[in-house]
Amino acid sequence: MPAEARPSLGSIALTFATIASTSFGGGQKASIRQQVLARGWINSDDFLAGLEIAQVLPGPNLLNLAIYCGQKARGVPGAVAALAGVSIPPFAIVLVAGALYFKFASNPFVHGALRGCAAGALGLTLGNALELTWDERKSWLSVALVAATAVAVSLLHMPLLPVLAVFGGGGILGEWLRTHKRSEA
Amino acid sequence: MGTLLHLLAVFSQLSVLGFGGGKGIIPQMHTDAVTTYRWVSSEQFTQFYTIGKLVPGPTTIFAALIGYAAVPQHPLLGAAVATAAMFVPSSLIMIAFDSFEARFSASPWRAIISRGLAPAIVGLVWSSVWTIARGAPSSVVAYLTSAAVIVLVLRTKINAPMLIVLSGVVGVAALR
Repeated sequence: MPAEARPSLGSIALTFATIASTSFGGGQKASIRQQVLARGWINSDDFLAGLEIAQVLPGPNLLNLAIYCGQKARGVPGAVAALAGVSIPPFAIVLVAGALYFKFASNPFVHGALRGCAAGALGLTLGNALELTWDERKSWLSVALVAATAVAVSLLHMPLLPVLAVFGGGGILGEWLRTHKRSEA
Repeated sequence: MGTLLHLLAVFSQLSVLGFGGGKGIIPQMHTDAVTTYRWVSSEQFTQFYTIGKLVPGPTTIFAALIGYAAVPQHPLLGAAVATAAMFVPSSLIMIAFDSFEARFSASPWRAIISRGLAPAIVGLVWSSVWTIARGAPSSVVAYLTSAAVIVLVLRTKINAPMLIVLSGVVGVAALR
């Protein structure tokens, strides 16, 4: 039911602002999907395509997905409204956090909390790295690329652009050859 | 003025290279912000990254905090420039892609690119672990906290901000 087939730019911005400021630690994709489908801004096939594009192109998935939905609803102005809506609340929140950080970081309790949080964030990132590596386990080429990339960046200090060109490009080439072989077989 | 231009250059480059949702840009951001321009220390970098994981929205919003620290005379301006540079270029690519979408809709390239890039992104996440570790506390309690979080990430569905808050509680008690 396209309840709101041509939404106002304000309602697009407000919808994404609400999603961005209330969804902690994932779950945003599900709430975006629910909101935009219920409002009839986009159909579910387009949403799935948008999700895929949002993940392939550079930029945070949440922002890219919001832009995609805003653009489907109201063109480029809709995309800009969605971007503003989805990024301004986190910006405001992080600024408050930053102001508090610079005011209180030297307080021993806050300092302790920050150090604890940093240890937690390290564990979180390492856990994510393990999970993501596990997802690549089926191909030796992929596992080798993971290792080679990490060595090139952390030990050889290779900058990001050549890293993406060499190891990202290599991965894409490998994937293309594999798909090609499969379609010929 | 010079610093603002450098913020703009650094973060807009990271923005267009932010494949995989931006997971892979942390090591380069550390090189730029800590080693090259000395806007923040390694310890601050790790703590800002942590705040980025804690607040709602994308983790890379912590670019704002680096901008805040880089321009002490006008911290809000620094934060705004860094954030705009971090988010606007990738957003413009996303907006511009709309015109090409029809051509790509049935194409296998989307899957080939995302699957092909994945190993390099995962390798960059491993390098991020190293980057973040450089500014994280080194003590037995800190290592045990990290280890406990790894187990909780792999074995439970507890979300990231909650895990960080729990680690913060450990920190108040034992890492002062």
